[in-house]
Amino acid sequence: MYGDLGIKLVQHAKRTQNLAHLPPYQTELVRAVTREVRDLNKDVDDLLEPFQGSFDPSEDQAIAYTLLVNHISMRRNKRCLLAYHRTRTDKLEELVWNGVDVVDLSGQQVRDAGASRGSTGVASGDGSTSSLSPQEEDYVRQYGDLLAAYKGQWTDIDLTGSLEPPRDLFIDVRVLKDAGEIQTEYGAITLTKNSQFYVRQGDVERLIAQGYLQKLS
Amino acid sequence: MSYYDVDAILTDAEKVPCRFELDVPYLGHLDNSSGLKAGTRLNLPLWLAEMFALASAGQDASPPLTLSLPPCLSEQVLAALKADPRAVPLRDQSAYFYGVAVRMLDLFDEKELSAILRNTFVVRAADVGLHARKAEETGLGGQGEEFLRGLDEWERRLFRRGHEGVKGAKEWTDNVKKS
Amino acid sequence: MDIDDILREVDPASHGISLETRDLQALTRLWVAERSAPELLNWPADGLFERVNSKIKSQIERIEDMTGDMDPKTNFALIVIQTELERYKFLVRSYLRTRIAKIDKHTLHYLSTETLRQRLSPTELAYATRHQALLHNHYLSSFLSSFPQRLQNLNDTAGNVSMIDAPDLDTAVFVRLLRDKDVFGRGTDVDTILPAANGDVLILRWSSAKGLVEDGDAELV
Repeated sequence: MYGDLGIKLVQHAKRTQNLAHLPPYQTELVRAVTREVRDLNKDVDDLLEPFQGSFDPSEDQAIAYTLLVNHISMRRNKRCLLAYHRTRTDKLEELVWNGVDVVDLSGQQVRDAGASRGSTGVASGDGSTSSLSPQEEDYVRQYGDLLAAYKGQWTDIDLTGSLEPPRDLFIDVRVLKDAGEIQTEYGAITLTKNSQFYVRQGDVERLIAQGYLQKLS
Repeated sequence: MSYYDVDAILTDAEKVPCRFELDVPYLGHLDNSSGLKAGTRLNLPLWLAEMFALASAGQDASPPLTLSLPPCLSEQVLAALKADPRAVPLRDQSAYFYGVAVRMLDLFDEKELSAILRNTFVVRAADVGLHARKAEETGLGGQGEEFLRGLDEWERRLFRRGHEGVKGAKEWTDNVKKS
Repeated sequence: MDIDDILREVDPASHGISLETRDLQALTRLWVAERSAPELLNWPADGLFERVNSKIKSQIERIEDMTGDMDPKTNFALIVIQTELERYKFLVRSYLRTRIAKIDKHTLHYLSTETLRQRLSPTELAYATRHQALLHNHYLSSFLSSFPQRLQNLNDTAGNVSMIDAPDLDTAVFVRLLRDKDVFGRGTDVDTILPAANGDVLILRWSSAKGLVEDGDAELV
């Protein structure tokens, strides 16, 4: 019945909320729910057509209630679609805040999805598949620009820095992935895998968030 | 209630038994017939049933359908809850047990139902809190797992919050000890 | 000897200590309150953030000047200033992020009336407006544009659920009384009036606490 497909989308959204990564965009399902809205709207137009704009609900209750059902079903589908897309943009925005490179991200997620499904991974090996819809990729880019503009008003603060209250100015870190050379106030350090450094926390926060460095307690 | 809230939307998808009071020939798709006849009984999702029950086309027309309480709020379930709220796995009745119940109480004036549900929530919430603390200290035993499996979504959220709270407090005290 | 004393010694030219201390206190208070309140609070109108910002900038410059100096005494002062700077930056960052999170959650609500819009800083207002436009565009290009025209809005309040989500003002908060007062609190079954003394900490609904906080009778903790 009408609305059942919408619920499937929302169930996807519910699962997405509990995942660390973003599962593939449900292109077909979104299309089907949108089509349902157009069909319902056409039914409304067809039902009203003979009345030429002079329909009186109290005279034909059966038609009135049918119109009501169609209207509510359209609204329902709209709500399901919006909730689904909103859940995903929330997640995407979080990734942008965390400094994840999204072009990177869509590729990486396809690999992850392939790995978790074993050798039967649908998307593995095909570089052009992304778990983001083209619209979502646009959105991420635009939101990234917006965030950069907002951050630009507060250059000295580094808005995307750590939200843990600072305890120590300097910390011990271990390098998990080669990250090349970084500049600190105390000169340049070359970060090669498995080496350890005693560095100023503010200098390396981004690298910790991105998984290049691990903080040692 | 929030428009974008995924749990609210899923709660709204739970089905309620309805009885149509008039013929609606164009709505056959609701029960796969050629047209709905007065007297037809079918289960409709809350979002549709509620609007229907509240709507009436004319000034003094009666609503086109009547609602009854869903099976998760049946006499048997309520009797079991009255006997011992903790013994009923609410999730088997509905993952959105309290959500649905609250919506039904908006439509029905049922004082006794409201009292039973309130007692159920309070008694079970205490247990949820207990388990949240135990889960942090000793891990979950077999019995605890069984109880947690039967939690509805509200209670699950309560459990998660409780668990995070206990964990946060533990981390904090550990930190204070260290420094 | 606390950090301010050290700073005074490090920077004999600074006379604004008391104002700066007041600013730091104000910033800390704002930060605590913003993190506790379920809705967005007013952006301070007295230029606090302009002062905080220029203070941070001057500290960064000072650190840069001092970095070349190898004198151990300067080096110690340098670490003190850097530590203080990190704390300052953290306060501002955490405060701004808390606000952005609230604005993102209920963007349309905060944009819906002039009074609500005035709670935002000009930068926040620009961010919120643009963010909402991006979202609407994204929905339109993903599915909404093929909907019938009358269903394309995102601010429909008809139907049984308003599309404009608003924060729940009945969320519980903790407040500390700043003077003796009879506190009125709304409850589920009964309302109460509780005589409370200066320094008492109470838990009550934000809707009941809001007036006390705005009048300076209590502060959020």
